[in-house]
Amino acid sequence: MRRLTSVFGGAAEPPKGGNPDSNTLISDMTTVICLDDYHSLDRTGRKEKGVTALDPRANDFDLMYEQVKALKSGIAVDKPIYNHVSGLLDPPELIKPPKILVIEGLHPMFDERVRDLLDFSIYLDISNEVKFAWKIQRDMAERGHSLESIKASIEARKPDFDAFIDPQKQYADAVIEVLPTQLIPDDNEGKVLRVRLIMKEGVEHFSPVYLFDEGSTVSWIPCGRKLTCSYPGIKFSYGPDTYFGHEVSVLEMDGQFDRLDELIYVESHLSNLSTKFYGEVTQQMLKHADFPGSNNGTGLFQTIVGLKIRDLYEQITASKTAAPLQATKA
Amino acid sequence: MQVMKPVRAAPDSISEKVEKSVKEAQEACSDDPASGECVAAWDEVEELSAAASHARDKKKDNDPLENYCKENPETDECRTYDN
Repeated sequence: MRRLTSVFGGAAEPPKGGNPDSNTLISDMTTVICLDDYHSLDRTGRKEKGVTALDPRANDFDLMYEQVKALKSGIAVDKPIYNHVSGLLDPPELIKPPKILVIEGLHPMFDERVRDLLDFSIYLDISNEVKFAWKIQRDMAERGHSLESIKASIEARKPDFDAFIDPQKQYADAVIEVLPTQLIPDDNEGKVLRVRLIMKEGVEHFSPVYLFDEGSTVSWIPCGRKLTCSYPGIKFSYGPDTYFGHEVSVLEMDGQFDRLDELIYVESHLSNLSTKFYGEVTQQMLKHADFPGSNNGTGLFQTIVGLKIRDLYEQITASKTAAPLQATKA
Repeated sequence: MQVMKPVRAAPDSISEKVEKSVKEAQEACSDDPASGECVAAWDEVEELSAAASHARDKKKDNDPLENYCKENPETDECRTYDN
C-alpha cells in the first residue's frame, strides 16, 4: 500500500492524534481504509460463533456499502475501527472524502453493490507455495510458532479462503499473481519469484501495459550482450489470454533485478506505463528500495499499477470537469 | 535449506498472545478438527501473527539510527560498502 500510494504523491500515514491502533492511512491525495473496520463480529464474537474473519457473516456489508458510497459522493463518515491488537471494535473515527479512496482487505469485491462503486480493482493472488514460504518468514521469529502451527493455520483457513476470498479475483481489473520461479529447477527456497500482471481488456480509462507489440505474444530475456545479469537472470513474457471468460493481457516477470541499470533497461522496453517522464518507474522503485519486492515483479507491478491508477484518476477528473463545460457551450 | 534473515520478535504482550493462541488452537482442534471452533481458533492465530509482524515493523520504523541514516546516508555512521 505504501508503494501504491507513494505513486499518487506523498506518504500515507495513520491519522495523527487519533486512535493509535487505527488501520487507516492518509496522505494529501489518498485515504486507505482497511475493510476489517467493517467486521460485525469482534474476536470474541467470532470465537463464540465458530466463524473466521474470512466468513461474510463476520462482516457488515450494508455499512461498508453505505460508507463507501457516501465517501465517493463527497460526504464524510464516522467509520468504526477494528482494533487488531485488542480484537475489539473501537469508537469510530471521522473519515473525510479524499481525492483517491482505496479500500483494502478480505472482501473488497465480495458485495455486488460495493463492486459497482469501484473505478478500479486489484486482486493479489499468492500461490500456495509462496504463501507458505512468506508465512514461515513472517512467523518463525515468534516463539509460539513452529512449522506445524504455521501450516495448520493456513490449512484450517483454506476452506473459507477458497469459498469467500479467492472467487473475488474474477471481478478484478488487474490481478497480480505470485508464483514460484521457473528459472531454478527444484527451487524450494521461494526467494526468486515469478509474477504475472493479468490486466483486463476493455476497462474504461485503463490501457494495459505491453511489451514491444501490443496484442502479440512475446518472450524476452533482457540479459545478453547489452545487459549482464547475475544468476538466475530475468525472463519476461507478454501476450493475450482469457481469464474467467474475459479477454486479458498478461505481462510476466520471472527473476530478480540486481542493479539499477537492469531496471532502467527493462523500463525502457515496456510501453503504456502511464509514466510522466522516462525513468519514473525506476525512480519509484529506488525510492522504496527497502520495501519488500523491490528486486522482483511484485514491486515492479505494484508500482506500475499505481501509475495506472493515477492515470485513471486524472482521466476521470478531467472528464468530470469537461462535462459542465460542454453543457454551457450548448 | 532456507536461509532466514534474523528478525526481532514482537513486543512481549503480542508475542505472548500469539503463543497462547497457538496452544488454544491445538487444544480446540484435538477434539474436532473440522469444527467451527477449531477453524476460528487458527484464524485468531493468523490475526495475532499478522499483528505481531506489524508491531515488529513499527518497532523497526522507530529505530533512531535507521531513521537518521535514511536521510543522511553519506555520514560516517551510515556508510555502507557494497562492492
